Amino acid sequence: MALVVGAAAVLSFPLWSPNPYILSAGVVVLSYAVLSTSWNFVGGFTGYMSLGHAAWFGLGAYGTGLLIARAGVPSFLALGLAAVVVAVLAVPIGIAALRVRGASFVIVSIALVLVLLLVFQSWRDVTGGSDGLTVPRPFPDLLRPQHHAVFFILFAVLLGVALLAWWTIDRSRFGLGLKAIREDEDKAQSLGVPTFAYKLVAFVVSATFTALGGGLYALWFGDLDPIFQFSILLGSYMVLMALLGGVRHLFGPALGALVVGVAIEYFKVSYGDTQFHLVATGLLLAAVVLFMPDGVIPAVQALLNRFRPQQSSIREVSAAELREQVKL
Amino acid sequence: MTGSLLFQSLVLGILLGGLYALLAAGLTLYFGVMRVVMIAHAAFLVLAAYLAWDVHQRFGIDPLLSLVVTVPLFFLAGVGFQRLLIARLRPATVTMMSVLLTFAVALTIEGMLGFVYSGTQRRVQLSYSAASIEVFGAQVAVVKLIAFGLAALSLLALYLLLTRSRFGQALRATIQHPQAARLIGIDTDRVAGYGFGLGLATAAVGGAALSLDSTIYPSLHWHWIGPLMAIIVVGGLGSIPGAAIAAMVLGIVQSLLQLPLGTTWAQTVFYLALFATLLVRPQGFFGGRLAQRF
Repeated sequence: MALVVGAAAVLSFPLWSPNPYILSAGVVVLSYAVLSTSWNFVGGFTGYMSLGHAAWFGLGAYGTGLLIARAGVPSFLALGLAAVVVAVLAVPIGIAALRVRGASFVIVSIALVLVLLLVFQSWRDVTGGSDGLTVPRPFPDLLRPQHHAVFFILFAVLLGVALLAWWTIDRSRFGLGLKAIREDEDKAQSLGVPTFAYKLVAFVVSATFTALGGGLYALWFGDLDPIFQFSILLGSYMVLMALLGGVRHLFGPALGALVVGVAIEYFKVSYGDTQFHLVATGLLLAAVVLFMPDGVIPAVQALLNRFRPQQSSIREVSAAELREQVKL
Repeated sequence: MTGSLLFQSLVLGILLGGLYALLAAGLTLYFGVMRVVMIAHAAFLVLAAYLAWDVHQRFGIDPLLSLVVTVPLFFLAGVGFQRLLIARLRPATVTMMSVLLTFAVALTIEGMLGFVYSGTQRRVQLSYSAASIEVFGAQVAVVKLIAFGLAALSLLALYLLLTRSRFGQALRATIQHPQAARLIGIDTDRVAGYGFGLGLATAAVGGAALSLDSTIYPSLHWHWIGPLMAIIVVGGLGSIPGAAIAAMVLGIVQSLLQLPLGTTWAQTVFYLALFATLLVRPQGFFGGRLAQRF
């Protein structure tokens, strides 16, 4: 019921948004929600924090843009093709990256963005380098506000599909295996979970959804620049949003995207081109990591639980919580 | 391509490798004592370079003299950083969360630098900036030699400190086995704090060296952190000799590749080495037990 109301509120936003600027900001926030939800397939289920998911975003965006601009493929076919290409690319990269855990994995993910940034900036003949790449619009006849409205709905649909996929995995045996990896990979492996295959599948699914988000962004925005598509900052936004909302919850990343996305847009409007948004992002991320590593949703839930009868004995406990309980 | 040109870039590669080695040693220290991957290392490097530039701009003194202030200051900042921030994280997730935390610090430093000094590119102009001397037929800028000398001296000092002093023994014991170190009476928390301070001090030295011969701007740290991270993974997380060797080798290869490929493409060698290492030897070429787990 709440779900239907929420979906209706989101989908009707183009009707009641006061002006085209707010609507376009809404598209940006919604695209953040898609990206952080996509990130959460890896970050939330397996606990592998990728700071470099902007790599998939950029590849999806450039893949779509290049297919349209250089090969003349129809817009939405290009989007699908680009997603397939990224999915195929994600397999070897995932095999390499998932061989290491924890900190090394984060390093690898950052390296991936940095190397792609170098390649797309240097390879001027194909990508246009720092001059950027202009992507032809899929609906040339539409006026700007209508264009925003159409893409708002498209992003909302993509978000719905991503959420549905996350929800399905969350309840499946596959999802249970992934969560076992998150809590203790060695134990999961010794219990017979095919950890590597599971991680790889989650990684590819996550990359594909991120690429779809990127491709859709390319179609909407129409102008690509390596600095902005392969940006560490974008990758850190995804992590920040997901952590803030809560990585263990279906709507956590989307909620985080709403908070952080609105904040980012606000900072951009109020402080323009200064470096203030970097400081704000940095401080916010530090605060979340230090004080709310489980996100807002669990923090609020814990608060509510104080007033409820005690929980039953069977529930999900993370390795970190377990360790703290043992200490007590 | 002539032989002398090749030799020239070989020499430049060695000089660059020295600086990489010093900074990678700092990163290895953080990882050793706390299992922390310090993304903000390069941001502190750029911060130190800005401070050196600022000192030179304001008082007209040599940027190298800023070391007298920045090294102790960064040491204290490192101790404080470990005590106040890293130690607060949950032990079970410290590696992952510390990456995010130090990343946040890096963003904050970059933003503040942009705020205070603006995004304009800065460069220190010195009387000896343009001077160069001939080393076996290769023209080498004096500032690069000074930077290398500084890095080599600091590395030597660090090496002596770690191998000859009591504190060094305690630090290495903490790196090898924190629990056992605690059992024989080492205050590992304090040692970890000092380890962090030492690591950050290498960033201060590196920053002064960097300010001598390169143009600095707030987002410069991204150009350093990628290669440095690649170096410590290739060398094996936690191994200082591994980091130093990997730094030298990759620095030289990068410098040699700049001739045929240009600067931007040459930088990709670090990432290629990183991915190749992961496929062949995920624990790095000199790392032991430690590197595999993290």
